[in-house]
Amino acid sequence: MSHGSAIHKEEKVWAAVVAAMVAVFLAALAYAAWVTGLQVPGSDVELVNPKTVLQELKPGVREVAPGRYEVTLVGRMFSWIPAEITLKDPVEVKFRLTSIDVIHGFQIVGTNVNVMVFPGYVAEITWRVPQNYEGRYLMVCNEYCGIGHQNMYGAINIVRTK
Amino acid sequence: MLSQKFLVEDKVAKIALAFAVLLLLLGGLFGFLQVLSRAPGMPQLVTADLYYAGLTLHGVALAVLWTAFFIVALAVFVLTRELGLNMNGPLLLGGAVLAILGSLMGAVAILTGQASVLYTFYPPLNASPLFFIGVAIVVIGTWLISAAIIEVILRWRRQNPGKEIPLAAYGVLTTIIIWLMATPPVALIVLLYSIPMSLFGAPVDVLEWRLWFWYFGHPLVYFWLVPTITIWYTLLPKVLGTEVYSKTMAKVVFVLFILASVPVGLHHQFVDPGVHPVYKYLHTVLTYMVAVPSFLTAFNVIATLEKAGRMRGGKGLFGWVTALPWGKDPVFTGITFAIILFGIAGFSGVVNASFNINYMVHNTSWVVGHLHLTVGGGITLTFIATTFLLMPLLFGRDYIAKKLLIAIPTLWFVGQLIFSFAYHLSGIYGVPRRTFLGEAPYLQTPDAFTYVAQWAPLMQIGAVGGVIFAIAGALFVLLTFASIAKGPRIQPSGGELKISPEVGPATFLDRVGLIVLIALVIIVISYSLPVLEIYGRGLSPAPPYWPSGAAAG
Repeated sequence: MSHGSAIHKEEKVWAAVVAAMVAVFLAALAYAAWVTGLQVPGSDVELVNPKTVLQELKPGVREVAPGRYEVTLVGRMFSWIPAEITLKDPVEVKFRLTSIDVIHGFQIVGTNVNVMVFPGYVAEITWRVPQNYEGRYLMVCNEYCGIGHQNMYGAINIVRTK
Repeated sequence: MLSQKFLVEDKVAKIALAFAVLLLLLGGLFGFLQVLSRAPGMPQLVTADLYYAGLTLHGVALAVLWTAFFIVALAVFVLTRELGLNMNGPLLLGGAVLAILGSLMGAVAILTGQASVLYTFYPPLNASPLFFIGVAIVVIGTWLISAAIIEVILRWRRQNPGKEIPLAAYGVLTTIIIWLMATPPVALIVLLYSIPMSLFGAPVDVLEWRLWFWYFGHPLVYFWLVPTITIWYTLLPKVLGTEVYSKTMAKVVFVLFILASVPVGLHHQFVDPGVHPVYKYLHTVLTYMVAVPSFLTAFNVIATLEKAGRMRGGKGLFGWVTALPWGKDPVFTGITFAIILFGIAGFSGVVNASFNINYMVHNTSWVVGHLHLTVGGGITLTFIATTFLLMPLLFGRDYIAKKLLIAIPTLWFVGQLIFSFAYHLSGIYGVPRRTFLGEAPYLQTPDAFTYVAQWAPLMQIGAVGGVIFAIAGALFVLLTFASIAKGPRIQPSGGELKISPEVGPATFLDRVGLIVLIALVIIVISYSLPVLEIYGRGLSPAPPYWPSGAAAG
């Protein structure tokens, strides 16, 4: 073999280190997703007609059990419907989200809640609310949706009584 | 005389290089305005209309066109010199003319406010047909240029049986293979969905569209990166008077990029509805596979730098670092700073790729910090430093004010570090990307919301960094154009530069056809599951709207 055409020993060691690191990282991600439940959205989806979705989905907050909420939110250029939400002692919140016009992005700043909002699809994401979360959080649109994108926001108030 | 032999090729390379630098100027100008517009308290020089039109131009001109036109110039120059063969003139010229024509159509549509849809142009956000037809024409132009590149490499192999493909030519070939595997679906969604939406108000299924857009969108990153690391493997050792530490590992890296750069698009859709988490995880695994060649490159490049430092008398564990020509050679300094920026970006890239960790940073300014360190840092700074060599060879003019050249990579590096630090950190605090924050109502009362009070100071630090590298960019554009026009003549244009290590016999790494076949099988496996899911469920098309909010259907 001519000079430079072999793979050096140090490189083989490095490649093995990299492969091991990749395996550990991937295992950690899978563990977090399927064992501890830090899962990405996507397993539940429903198709809807963006033209009639406001009548069909009835945006708003429903308390299905004490501390367990289901929140239906609809994005439109350039606001969330509803734009103001208050949750009392929330433990777990299931968000159901869709759009009546273009793509939006739903994020509650400072939390794990971050999901794309598509016209034609209802996205679902479940948030287990940490005990120490209290106060007013920004619900921001984080996907460009048109010239008024910077005006699209809402607020979620978390009230603790116990 | 070489300058006579490659007359047509060099003409195309010159046009492509000059057009690329012009696009850097145009895109960079809007970047400068945006980084201020995003920082409350900084001078607000634009309206919302201009902010988003400018943001569209910034992405299109820099991420897509500046990179692509520079790569064309580099590829044509490298291939002609490495292989010593003429390329197909009509294909090259025709491709370049179409690519420039399409670019101008897109630029006119954007600058007249008819295409404020950003460089991802997600439907059902509507734009003028001029924009979408321009995109289609650019893609067709690149296919003609790709055909000319594949043809000359095949001809060289027929004439040189048993020889390995020179390393630099192998890098160019890898680049073009990735481009040709990645672009057909995006051409199809533009033709089948975006153009009919724009012309007739036809509805589009956004999930289907995004699946094929990101099938293209991630390999686009490797289309930029592979020529960049080709420069790290060939030109960088050349300016240091040595050869790459391991030529074989360099080729292994290119093979891994061919195999794993396409089937990873779902990592841009981790928080999309309608794609099952298991399929997203499959793409996470493949994304981690494509991180492996980056790690191997880091080792190989640093080992090459160590070799060069020890040649210069560097002793001990780190003596070789200080023995390198820091601050003296602008090409070396620029490329090495680019490598450091890209290395830092690798860390945030692994976070982006990490499945459930991604929702901490998805669509936040963290991603802006990452993308600027990669395409704006590692890739663009490498291309800028390479232009210091390539422009004089092509135009036969030396740089004027050569002593100033070193300021360009230095300012670029410092500015990028400040900008990306602030943008990464602010992303953790939830700052949204692609948003005209200077006018955002929630930033008028930042104390009303948890976390939001942290935003403005970080955006201001980011603006300082952005302005610093904008100055570096302005200096680069100014010196390059002034030198093309008035620089001292050095030799007839069409100089020569061979950058590959010595060519040995062919190995299994040169069986490129087989490697491409394996890559296609991996693509089919990784995409068949989400394709079956999305089409099996049935589509849900949505009618278009203009960015103003008006219905377009």
